[in-house]
This record gives sequence, structure tokens and C-alpha cells, in this order.
Amino acid sequence: MTQLIKARAGIITPEVERLAKEEGFRAEELAEKVAQGRVVIMKNKLRRNSVAIAVGEGLRTKVNANIGTSPDCVDFKDELYKIRVAEAAGADAIMELSTGGDIDAFRRTVLAATAIPVGSVPTYQAGMESISKNGSVVGMKVEDMFEMIERQAADGIDFMAIHSALNRSILERLKNQGRITDIVSRGGAFLTGWMFHNDQENPLYTQFDRVLEICKKYDVTLSIGDAIRPGCIEDSLDRAQVQGVIVAGELVKRALEAGVQVMVEGPGHVPLDQIPATILLQKQLCHHVPYYILGNLVTDIAPGYDHITAAIGATTAAISGANFICYVTPAEHLRLPTAEDVHAGVIATRIATHAADLVNGVKGAREWDLAMARARKALDWDKQIELAIDPPTARRIRGERNAEGDEACSMCGGFCAMKVVGEYLGTTEGSC
Amino acid sequence: MTLMEMAQKGQENPLFTMIAQNEQMKVQLLMERVATGQIVIPYNLHHQPKRAQGFGLGLSTKVSASIGLDNDEDLLADELFKVDEAMRAGTHAIMDLSTAGNIDEARRTIIERVPLPLGSLPIYQAFAEAVRTKGSALALEPEDFFRVMERQAADGVDFMALHSALHTGLLQTAKEDRRVLNLVSRGGSLLMGWMIYHHRENFLYTMFDRILEIAKKHEVTLSLADAMRPGAGADSLCRSQAEELVVLGELVKRSREAGVQIMIKGPGHTPPQQIAATVKLEKQVCQGAPYFVFGPVSTDVAPGYDEITAAIGGAMAGAAGADILCYVTPAEHIAYPNAQDVYRGVVASRIAAHVADLAKGYPGAEQWDLQMSQARREQNVEAQKRLALAQERLKDFHSSAKPFCNKCQTGCAMAVAGEFFQELPWEC
Repeated sequence: MTQLIKARAGIITPEVERLAKEEGFRAEELAEKVAQGRVVIMKNKLRRNSVAIAVGEGLRTKVNANIGTSPDCVDFKDELYKIRVAEAAGADAIMELSTGGDIDAFRRTVLAATAIPVGSVPTYQAGMESISKNGSVVGMKVEDMFEMIERQAADGIDFMAIHSALNRSILERLKNQGRITDIVSRGGAFLTGWMFHNDQENPLYTQFDRVLEICKKYDVTLSIGDAIRPGCIEDSLDRAQVQGVIVAGELVKRALEAGVQVMVEGPGHVPLDQIPATILLQKQLCHHVPYYILGNLVTDIAPGYDHITAAIGATTAAISGANFICYVTPAEHLRLPTAEDVHAGVIATRIATHAADLVNGVKGAREWDLAMARARKALDWDKQIELAIDPPTARRIRGERNAEGDEACSMCGGFCAMKVVGEYLGTTEGSC
Repeated sequence: MTLMEMAQKGQENPLFTMIAQNEQMKVQLLMERVATGQIVIPYNLHHQPKRAQGFGLGLSTKVSASIGLDNDEDLLADELFKVDEAMRAGTHAIMDLSTAGNIDEARRTIIERVPLPLGSLPIYQAFAEAVRTKGSALALEPEDFFRVMERQAADGVDFMALHSALHTGLLQTAKEDRRVLNLVSRGGSLLMGWMIYHHRENFLYTMFDRILEIAKKHEVTLSLADAMRPGAGADSLCRSQAEELVVLGELVKRSREAGVQIMIKGPGHTPPQQIAATVKLEKQVCQGAPYFVFGPVSTDVAPGYDEITAAIGGAMAGAAGADILCYVTPAEHIAYPNAQDVYRGVVASRIAAHVADLAKGYPGAEQWDLQMSQARREQNVEAQKRLALAQERLKDFHSSAKPFCNKCQTGCAMAVAGEFFQELPWEC
């Protein structure tokens, strides 16, 4: 039984019990949201060493970090290190997106090495294996696609991006639209090429029930992949994207009926003023299941700084109802991220989700800011660093530039506002 | 005649023409907005910056970077390097906030070097000189301040931040407000101390007409500062902030009547959902005066990353109508910014400003994104580098633009998809 089926049966699982407490809800309230499909509890039922997380309406906005090898760059140790960095920076989940080396072995290592939920895109590995077996991605056998989903699920993958919401009608609309960047989703491009080369409909769409069966068996949370997400500002909210959301909504309904936990993936490049509409449309068409977005990147013109373009977008997106944010690193559009990029990406995304949590009234969010403000008033540097979103970085910057035991923040030097007014008003804590 | 008066009389001049051209606005519309005060052009007669900028309604969102000597041991050369870095990163204005060392020399050197509008806070120098010559900031006399202001104006400072809306009534409100962080504005705090100690009213408030006279004589744009700027998200839109804004609105009216250009400075720490309201409130109460916001910093908890908290807030504020963003650097709340922090702060603010321009529908903003996306579609790395907002991190750009990776022997999925859409395929 999946968490969804149990919740519908009125069973309070240990995961729901624990997560409700963490998020400041009564267990019955959280179970009700799981039953409605508005919250998913991510945990493959075969995975023993992991801690489930809850994603969805009313909960703290969660952050995902992507890692994985590429065919040109197979260094498992390096990727494992990136996972550690992502976890230390506060990522709630990771996606393992390897396309190079012994992918099975690496996935199993990752699942054993981390306690947070792990996601994947089975089509990547299926495509790579098809290259060695059949000579090409387009040579993929339908059976192999499903075998891969089953293999990864049996290994314990907690959530899977599967590009089922892609079919010929969407592609025709995409062509008719005349986009700037047609398909920027790699999995989406694999399948599109496969569909045309083989002159067949997308098997992940036509045989969606098989996807559901596997997800149900292992309680894998299905993340309906956004094969046609816009790759630039200009392409945002076009007819093809809307058609994709409509199809995703139909699949969501079937998943919920089958008792499979489901969420929907979303863009991508979206201008700031279109974000609330994009989120609302998805929520309405997809039965209010959790929305998992990339960014949103609010402008195309800042390569090298896309963790910032994405932090701007993620804040507005999460305020508008997005629940799970895939990070964007400073390396986006440039190269594969280094460990340093992974760190910068996770922190920037956490700043954004926290800024949104403040607005959304998430338990503990305001209290955190208030504690920081009080520590600033008290000029309590140890407390400020302890409360910082990334204490090592705050400590390093301060340590590099300031003498020990300097009670004023060095921003104002001898003219510290807090100190001056504190002295004049004769109040305590060095402040007025 | 001031620029505002010229605009009111409909006298076109080369400055209006240049700015209108740069901003793709009809010069008549620009002049109408300068005439009513919805647009300001900081342009001191003794500086006449070559790359003069307009701030306000319908213009692109601008970025300002602050630097300055903070210790007597600080080297002017280091600050000049920061100025150069800020300009290399694409700032539209510089503020010299020196409070130590040879302040006059620093300002004069920077004015000569910078072809952009240059701002200052004359009260900093006035207090610093009072400490130096009289032994205490409290010994400052109003006349000392006006001498400094006159000197700075004669040197060519284009816009000046002044805490003229601070007055004794506001002190009482601030006390009753019980904010988490009472005063984080440095100039505001010093003035408040002076007022309390002497039981005197703020001379920047009572003698506002003298400020207007000096500003008018030298064509200095006033940038009225918010002494009650919230220093924590929890303090945002409190009574003292709102009350000060009301007074600021009154001063805007007086300034415009005198033909002196004026803009308003704003917060500061503001949670995301309060940003749009904060901007709209200023625009209404201050009769459309250009709004110059500090960030806004959208959460308190990320020291070391406040260029990001501010980029989030800046994009929202700009989209809601803020006209100029004062940068925030990664060193904010922790240390005095170095040259690298300055560069990063300007870049983050420029991203926010551009995102705001996209949302405002500023002419050309969407075009820039479109060109970048077309370069991506064509896998044109050189064009992508040229179009990038900042060049700093493009060195290790993944430049293998080869259309086929040759991994698949019997047909490439990317090529098939590409053929259908008639564009260059992906690499897998």
C-alpha cells in the first residue's frame, strides 16, 4: 500500500506522524492532505536507511539538488562528494542523473550513502544502455524502458521523473507555435527523437498504466516530467506548454485514482510577472498536487549568475504555490557544476524558499528572522553566525576581515549606528 | 534655471535629448516627467557627468554602488579600485560615503574619475569633521553642516542623501514602536543622538529652505533619506516608517515648488509580501517621486549572501515601480566590502533591475533575452558571451558546440528531434 492509499484508509503512518510534528500540523490534518494528493510523502517502501520528506501545500518549501556523471566525466568519488556538499548545505533531496560509467553501481552506492530521498530520470539510463546495446538512443526497446523503471524502483529510488506528458499532439502544437528553444529537457528530446524515428506514440504515455503499476508497487512518488518546459523567457506560457499541463493533469487524475503519489514538474524560464499565473494554472489543471519546478529562471541574460536569476524566480514561485524547488547553480548554461557550484546553488535556493516560507506562514520561518534581528540588536556575533543560513561562510567572511572581540560590526567602523544611539540614549545591549 | 524649471518651461536641451534617446522615450514625455518630478536627472553644474542618467517613471531600473573611506588608514587607491570595479560591473551611479581620511580629496578625485552621477551624505563628513576639530560629533553646529554641504555641492556632487524628515515627533513614535532594531541608518542615528543630547529639533528639517537654496544654486538632486529604515523584516511598515514617509511627502512638495529635483530613499529589510505595498505607498504619498531602495533585503537570515536576498527584493521592488536599486554586497551585516564584493553586489543588483525591466515592459529588455535565447538555439558561444550581463564567470564556458556527439551509430535522437523542429540538435 502506498502512503496515499493508507491515508485514504485513515491509517496514520509513522512517517505522517513524524512529519506532521515537524511541520506543525496535527497528524490527521497531514494525512488528509496526503489523501487528497496535495501532499506527497517521498520514500520508496524498500528503502530502509532513509528519512521520508513531505512535499506539498502548507508545508516548508523543499529544495532538490541534481548530481550525476556524464559520459565524458565519470568520477564517482567527485559526485559522492557533491552529494555530501549538497546535504551539508541543507538540500532536502537529490536527483541522481548519471549518464556515464556503471550507472547501476553508482545509484546503489548513492542510495546507501545518503539518508535523504533520491530521485532519478530512468529514461537517461535507458537511453545510455540502448547506445551500447542497440547502437543508439532511438533504438531503445519499449520493454527496456519499463524494465529500467522497475530496476531503479527495486533499487529504492524514492521519486522518478517520467516524461509521460509528451505525445504527438503536444509536439505538433510545439511545431506550430514556432518556439525559440524548442525542447530543452534532455529526457523530452530523447523521447521526441525516438517517437519520430520509430514513428510511434510515446510509450510512457500510451502505457501509462504500466508506469503506475511500478510506482504503486514500490510507493515511488511519480514526478510527471516536463518534457516541453520553456527554455527561454520568450517561450513561456505558450500553447505547447499549456497543452503539456493539460495532458499532465489528465495523467495526475489517473495516478490519484490508482493510489499512486504524484507531483508535476514545471519550468524553467519564466518572466517574473508570469510566475503566479503559471503556478495557478498548473495547480488548477493538475488537481492541486505538488508542483516541482526548476528555478524559475526569470531572465536569460545572466550566465554565471543563474543561481541568482533562479532565486528571484523561486521566491515568487513558492509564494504562488510551488512546493519543491530544483536548484540552479552558477554553472547553469555553462558546464557541469563543481562541488562549489552545488553549494552555491543549494544556498541560493534555500534563501528563496525561506523568503517564500516567511510569506506563506510556514512554522518557524518568521521566528528565524526574528531571532537573527535580535542577535543583531544585541551585537551577538556568535549567535548571528549560528543562525546564518550558511554559518561557515558567514564565519569565514567575518573572520577574514575583522579583529577578534570587536563588538561593533565593522560595516560602520567608529560610526556604528547601534553604538552611537545606544550611548546617547543610555539603553542596554548597545542599542537604542 | 534648474533642469526642472527648464522642463516646466518646455525648453529642450541636449541633456534631455540624450537621455530620451538612450531610454527610447520621446523627449516631450521625458520633459513632462522631469517637470512634474516623476523623473530626476542628477546633474550638478560643476560635474556635468558625461554619462548622465535619469531615474524614474518609464526609464530603465538603475543601480547605485556605495564606496568610501571608513578608516584613517584606508587607502584612497583601494576605494578608487572599487569605483572602477563597480563601473566595470555596470553600475549607473556611485555614492561616496567616506567618513574618514582626507574626505575632500577622496570626493574630488572620485568626481573627476566618474562619468556617472555621484552621490554623497554630507552629514557624514560634517560629523566626522566635528569629531576631528571639536572632539565630538555632539559639538556639531548647524552652520558647520551647511558649510560642508556647500563645499560638496561646489565640488560637483550630483545627488545628496539628507535625513530631513527626521524630527522630534518621530523620535517619540520610534520609542513607542518598540522595534526589534530601532535605528540602522547611520546618519539618522547620529542626528538622533545630536537631537536628544541638545534637546533641539533636526536642523535638516527646520532649515530645509537653506538646503533647497544650496541645491538649487548648484543643481543638486535631493535624495531624502529614511532615518527610520527598517533593519529587520519584523520592523517593516511600522508606524515610524510610515510617519516619516508622510513627512517626506510634504518635503517633496516643497522641493518641487522650489524647482529642486528630489527622490526618496527607501528600505531596507522588507519581507517579500510587503515590498509591492511599500513601493506603492511611497509613490502615492510622495506624489510619484522616484524611489531609491536599499535592496530591499527580503530575509534576515542569510549573512554572506545578502546580494541574493537583495536581488530577490530588488526584482520585486523594481517590478512594483522602484526606480533605482542601491546595491547590497555579500559582505553586508558582516564586514566592510572589498572590491570583489562590490563587483558581485553590482552584478546581482543589475540582474534584479533587468528582471524588473522585463516585468515593467521596458523597451528592449525582452529583446535582450530573446537574442540570448537565439544564440543558445544556434549554439553560438561567442554571441552568448557577448550578450551575457556579466563576463566574470564565462571563462570555462563549455564551448564544445559540436552538433553531433557520435555516440549513437544508427541514428541520433537529438538529430531526429532537431530535424522535426528545423533547428540544431542537442548533444546527449
